[in-house]
Amino acid sequence: MASTACFMIVSRNDIPIYEAEVGTAPKKEDAAHQHQFILHAALDIVQDLAWTTSAMFLKSIDRFNDLVVSVYVTAGHTRLMLLHDSRNDDGIKSFFQEVHELYIKILLNPLYLPGSRITSSHFDTKVRALARKYL
Amino acid sequence: MEPDVSIETSCMIRVAVLPIGSIAIPLFRDYTSMLVRHYTVSLSSISSFYTEHQKSPFAHQPWDSGSLRFKYMVGGSPASPWEDFQSNRKIFAVIGICHCPSSPDLHSVMDQFVTACKSYSSSVVQRCFAFCPGDSQLEDESFKGSNLILFPPADRQTQEFHLQTMMQDIAASLLMKFEKSVLQAESGGTILKTPLDSQASLSSEEVIKAKKRRLGRAQKTIGDYCLLAGSPVDANAHYTTSLELARLTGDFFWYAGAMEGSVCALLIDQMGQRDQFLDDEVKHRYNNVILHYRKSFIQDNAQRVSPLSFELEATLKLARYLCRKELAKEVVDLLTTAADGAKSLIDASDRLILFIEIARLFGTLGYHRKAAFFSRQVAQLYLQQENRLAAISSMQVLAMTTQAYRVQSRASTDHALYQESGQNHVDGGKAHHNWIVSLFESQWSSIQMVVLREILLSAVRGGDPLTAWSAAARLLRSYYPIITPAGQNGLASALSNASERLPSGTRCADPALPFIRLHSFPLHSSQQDIVKRNHGRDDWWAGSAPSGPFIYTPFSKGEPSQSSKQELIWVVGEAVQVFVELANPCGFDLKVDSIYLSVNSGNFDAFPISVSLPPNSSKVIALSGIPTEVGSLKIPGCIVHCFGVITEHYFKDVDNLLVGAAQGLVLSDPFRCCGSPKLKNVTVPNISVVPPLPLLISRVVGSDGAIILYEGEIREVQISVANAGTVPIEQAHISLSGKNQDSIQLIVYETLKSSLPLKPGAEVRIPVTLKAWQLGLLDPDAAPSKNISGSTGRQVKDGCSPVLLIHYAGPLTYAGDASINGSIPPGRRLVVPLNICVSQGLSLMKARLLSMEIPAHVGEDHSNVQVETSSAEESPRTDRFMKIDPYRGSWGLRFLELELSNPTDVVFEIGVSVNMEDSNNEENPEYDYPKTRIDRDYTARVLIPLEHFKLPVLDGTYLVKESQMNRTSTRKSSFSEKSSKAELNASIKNLISKIKVRWQSGRNNSGELNIKDAIQAALQSSMMDVLLPDPLTFGFRCGNNTAQSSSDLNLDEGSNIQGARKGSVKAHDTTLVEVLVRNNTKEMIRVSLSITCRDIAGENCVEGDKATVLWAGVLNGITMEVPPLKEYRHSFSLYFLVPGEYTLLAAAVIDDANEMLRARARANSCDESIFCRGPPFHIRVNGTM
Repeated sequence: MASTACFMIVSRNDIPIYEAEVGTAPKKEDAAHQHQFILHAALDIVQDLAWTTSAMFLKSIDRFNDLVVSVYVTAGHTRLMLLHDSRNDDGIKSFFQEVHELYIKILLNPLYLPGSRITSSHFDTKVRALARKYL
Repeated sequence: MEPDVSIETSCMIRVAVLPIGSIAIPLFRDYTSMLVRHYTVSLSSISSFYTEHQKSPFAHQPWDSGSLRFKYMVGGSPASPWEDFQSNRKIFAVIGICHCPSSPDLHSVMDQFVTACKSYSSSVVQRCFAFCPGDSQLEDESFKGSNLILFPPADRQTQEFHLQTMMQDIAASLLMKFEKSVLQAESGGTILKTPLDSQASLSSEEVIKAKKRRLGRAQKTIGDYCLLAGSPVDANAHYTTSLELARLTGDFFWYAGAMEGSVCALLIDQMGQRDQFLDDEVKHRYNNVILHYRKSFIQDNAQRVSPLSFELEATLKLARYLCRKELAKEVVDLLTTAADGAKSLIDASDRLILFIEIARLFGTLGYHRKAAFFSRQVAQLYLQQENRLAAISSMQVLAMTTQAYRVQSRASTDHALYQESGQNHVDGGKAHHNWIVSLFESQWSSIQMVVLREILLSAVRGGDPLTAWSAAARLLRSYYPIITPAGQNGLASALSNASERLPSGTRCADPALPFIRLHSFPLHSSQQDIVKRNHGRDDWWAGSAPSGPFIYTPFSKGEPSQSSKQELIWVVGEAVQVFVELANPCGFDLKVDSIYLSVNSGNFDAFPISVSLPPNSSKVIALSGIPTEVGSLKIPGCIVHCFGVITEHYFKDVDNLLVGAAQGLVLSDPFRCCGSPKLKNVTVPNISVVPPLPLLISRVVGSDGAIILYEGEIREVQISVANAGTVPIEQAHISLSGKNQDSIQLIVYETLKSSLPLKPGAEVRIPVTLKAWQLGLLDPDAAPSKNISGSTGRQVKDGCSPVLLIHYAGPLTYAGDASINGSIPPGRRLVVPLNICVSQGLSLMKARLLSMEIPAHVGEDHSNVQVETSSAEESPRTDRFMKIDPYRGSWGLRFLELELSNPTDVVFEIGVSVNMEDSNNEENPEYDYPKTRIDRDYTARVLIPLEHFKLPVLDGTYLVKESQMNRTSTRKSSFSEKSSKAELNASIKNLISKIKVRWQSGRNNSGELNIKDAIQAALQSSMMDVLLPDPLTFGFRCGNNTAQSSSDLNLDEGSNIQGARKGSVKAHDTTLVEVLVRNNTKEMIRVSLSITCRDIAGENCVEGDKATVLWAGVLNGITMEVPPLKEYRHSFSLYFLVPGEYTLLAAAVIDDANEMLRARARANSCDESIFCRGPPFHIRVNGTM
C-alpha cells in the first residue's frame, strides 16, 4: 500500500474532472497542491507519449522527488493519473482498468455531460475502495 | 553552478563589464547593448592588431574561419574557486563603461576603474570606455596610451564602428596573452588545484599523486586556452593527451573536464554542422563525462564540496544540446535526472539555478506545464529567501507561469481575440458544448488558486501593489466559491491595502467584483418610442409593423435568429438607460465607488453611479448616458471603480462564465448563489445613434399623475404636449388605444393639427372629455364588501385606463446633415396613458319598491286636487297638474326607493330626473325632483315615484299570456312565454332608462349614477303592478257645477280667511259628490258599483243603525256600463251631520269578467267574481261656524 497517492481524472480538455487523495499518509494542504502541480506538469509528457504506444497503460512516465506519475489513457483521451511513491505496476494497472470501467459507466449516464466534473458519490466510494484494494 | 551553460561555454572568454563613475542605468544598458553585440570576433578581423612576439603555441589556428567568443558578465561576477579546473571561468578582461558628462573628472574615473579591476586578478586586459567626452576632455592628452579610451560624440553607427574596432583590439590583446599563458603552462610550475582536492592532509602519498596528475591537468588547461583562442584542433590534441594522463592517474574529475573540453572542441571544429553521428558522439562522450563526474564523488568531503554540480551542469549541457522536439524523450529523461539531483545540492542558489535551467529547457522543448512547474519551484526558492528583491524575482517568475496555469492577467492577453472567439459558434448542441468546454480548458482550480496566492504573497512582499491587486482580484473573482468567508475578507482587505499604495485613478486589466451582466436594454420609454416612417403614406406609422395576416411568414427569407437580433435606435442628446445586474457572491459588503457603461466608440457620455452591495446579494441597476454623435455604438461592458482601482468588466466574460456554470464546468454561478433568478441570455442589440428627433412630452394639466374621478363622473381635462426636442414637429396624429376607450368622450383633434408645425419648446393643450367608468363592472362581487368597510377611493389597476397614441415626426430630411440622405428620419410615438383613477363615488346600497296609499281629499275646491287623485295617464292635462304637486292626493303610490351611501369624504347632491321623451306626453320631457344632499359617510334615501310609468291601457296582450302562464305554471315555460317575458323586460328597461340620477359634488365634479341594474332588480318582482294600470280606476269629485257650488265657494273663501283647511265640506249641508269610474281596458265593462263612507271610527256611515250620512242617491249596487277607455260619472249627494274626517271608498264587482280581467286580478277560478276597489278618499267635514 502506497503511503502517498493522488488520483485524478483529467478530461481531454485538460480539465480535472475527478480528484481523490487516496494515500494513507496524513494529509497536508500543501502536499495536496504539490501533488496536483506534479500531475499537471506530467500532462506535457503524456501528451507526447500517448501517441507513441497503442497501450492504454503508460506505466510510470514522470517523477518528481520520490513521487512517480503513472498514467492510463482511454480511447477518448481521458487520462487517469496516479501519483504514488511505490512501484507496484500490476496493482496500478488493475486499478486503472477497474476505474476505467467505472468511468465508462459514468459516461453511459445520459445526464452526464462528457467533460464535466464527476460528482457521483458512488463513483467516489468505488474508486476509494479500488485504491485500497490494489494500491 | 552557473546559469545558461551549454557545451560551448568552454570556449567563451569572459569579460566583466562594469559601470565606472556615475552613470544612469538606462545609459549603461544602452552602452552595454552596443557592446554585447560583439560576442564573436572573427580571427581574420583581428589579424591587423595581432603581432606575433614569439612562435604561437596555437599551431592550427584557423585564421580565416575561426573566431573568438566572448561572454560579457555585465556588472561583473565573483571569482570562482573552479577557475583552475575550467579556465573559461576566469575573467580575462575588464571593460569599464563611463559616461563623461556625468563624471567629468577623468582622473577620478581612472582611479575608480583601477580599483574595480583589482578584484579581477585573473584579468589580463583592462579597458575603460568613456563615452561622450567633452572638448576639454578630448584635448586632455594625459590619458594617451593609457587604458582609457574616449569615444567622441558621434552618430550611433560611427560609435558602433569605433566600439567594434576597440573590441578587435581587445581580442587581439587577449589572444597574445593566451599564447603567453599557454607557454607558461607548458613550462610547468603552476600547481592546478580544485576545491575537490583534499587540502587538509597533504601526506607524501598525496603529494606524489598530485605530481603525477599535474601533467594531465596542465594539458587540460592548455587545451582550455586553445579553445578560448579559437583553435579547436590544437585543443583537441591537448585534451587527448590530458585524457590519457588522467585515466592513468585515476583523476576522474579532470578526465571528465577534459572530455567536456574535447566535446566542445569537436563542436567548434564542426562549425555548427550537425548530423546523427555527431549527436551520437556527443551523447556518448557526455554520458561518459557524467559518469566520470559521478565517479569522482568522494565521500569524505561531500559535506563541503561535491562534483555534483558539475555532473548536473554536464547533464544540462547535454540536454541543451539535444533540446529538440524529436529527442524530447531523452531530454525529459536527462532533465528528470537533473531534477532528482536537486535534493543533494548543498547550495540553495545552485538549486535555484538548476531549476531555472530545467524550466528553460522544458520551455524550449514546448513543455509549458513542466516549465511552469519548475518555474514555480524557482519562485518558491526565491520566496524562502525572505527579502524584497527575491520576492520581486519570485513574482516575475510566477508571472511567467500564469499562461501555463491559465491564470494570466488580462493585461498580458489579447483580449480582442478572446472576445471574438465564440462570436460565431453554431447552435448545434455538440459543437456548442465543445466551444464552451474550450473556454474553460485547463481549469485546474486548486492549483490556479495556489499560483495566484503565491503571486499575491510575493507581490505584497516585493512591494508591487498593482500586481498584488490584480492577483487578489483574479483570485476573488474566479475562486470565491472555494474561499472561506474569512479568506474572502482577507482578499478584500488585500485589495484595499494594495489600492492605498496605488495612485488614484490606477487602471487594472483584471476585474475584481462585482459580477456584472446585462439585464436588459429597455426599449424606449413610451415617451420616446421611435417608429419607422413609411414614406409616401398618410398614416406613415402604419407600415412599420409587419404587414399581412401572419405573425410568421414562411416566405420571408433569413434565419430566425435574425429576428431575435433586435435593433435599437438611440437619439443624439437624449438620455438612455441600460439595465445591468450586479452580483456580490462574497461574504463582505461591497462598495462600488462608481460604475458606468464603457463605450469604445467614443460617442457616448456615460453617467457614473455608486452602488453598495450587501453580502451575497444581487441588484439590478440602471446605467444611463447620452449618445453624443451619430454612428453605431457598442457596449462591451462597464467601467467599475471598486477597491480603489478602475477596471473594465466585459459582459461577454460573465456570459461565458454563466454558460460554463450551466454546463458544470465552473464552480458556481455568481448570480444564482445570490438568489437572482435565471435570466435569459440577453443579446446585445445593434445600437445605432441617429441625429436629433423631435421629442414630445405630455402632461395632464392641473394634475400630477392620476386623474381621480368618481364613478360616472364627467370631466374635461387638458393634456398639454410640448416639443422638448430641437427639431420641429411637422406631422402629428392622435389615436386611441387601450381599455375603456369609451370613457373618452371627446378629443379636440383640431387643436393639435392647427398648431403644427410645433416649434421646439412650443406647447399645445388638447382638451379631452372623460367619463369615468363603473368600478362595479370590474369586480362586481368585491363592491359590496368595499361599501361596508367604507374604504374610500380605490386605486384602479394598471391597464384599465385608455391610452392616447400620438404619432409625430419631424421634417423628412435631417436638418443640416446631408450625409445621411436617402434615409428618412424616423417618426416617434408618444403614448399618453390617461391615468384615470376611478374612485368610488356614491354607491347604491339597495333599491326597493315601496308602495303606499295616501288617501286623497275629496271636496277640495281646486280641481287640480281632484284631478290629481285620478290616474296619471288620464290626460295630458292632468299630467301638467301632476307636475305641480305630484305627491298629494295620489292613491296607491309606488316609489322606487334608492338607498345611496356616500363613502367618500365630500358632499354629494343628488338630483333625480325622469326623462319622459318616449312617453305619451311629449311636451313634458323632464321632471325634476328636489335635490337631496348626502353628507360624507352618510346614507340617504331617494324616492322616485313610479306612477307615471303605468301604461295608459290595460292591454290584453300582456295579460293573456300572463294568465296562460299562471294557469300552466306547472308546465315548463314555452318559447312564447319567454318572448312575452322579454317584452315585459324590454318595457321595464325602457322605463328604467328614463330615470336618471345625477349627482354633483363640489364645484366641478358631476356625473351620473348607474342604477339600471339596481332598479331592474327591484322592479322584477312587481313589474306587473307597476306597469299595468288597474282595469278600473275610481275618483271622487265634489260637484262644482251644481247649485251649491257658489255657496261652497263662498264658504271656502270664508274658511280661507279663517285659516281653515281648504277643500273641506260642511256639516249639515248637502254635498254633491261625483264618482268617476274609468275603464282602462279596451272593452266595455259592466260593473256593479258601491260606495262606502266611513267615519274616523270606521263605522259605516251609509248603512246600519246610524246611517245618517246619506242624503240622496243610491250607494249600493249601482249598475253601470263603462265604455272602453272612457269615464262614467255617477252623481250622488252626501249630507254630513257630524263634522270630522270621513273616508269614501268606491268598489265595483265586474260582471262577466273576461280572461284578461281575471288574469289581472289573479283569479283562481272562472266563477269567482272580480272585485275592483279604489283607494280611499278623505273628506273633511267642518262644523258650522
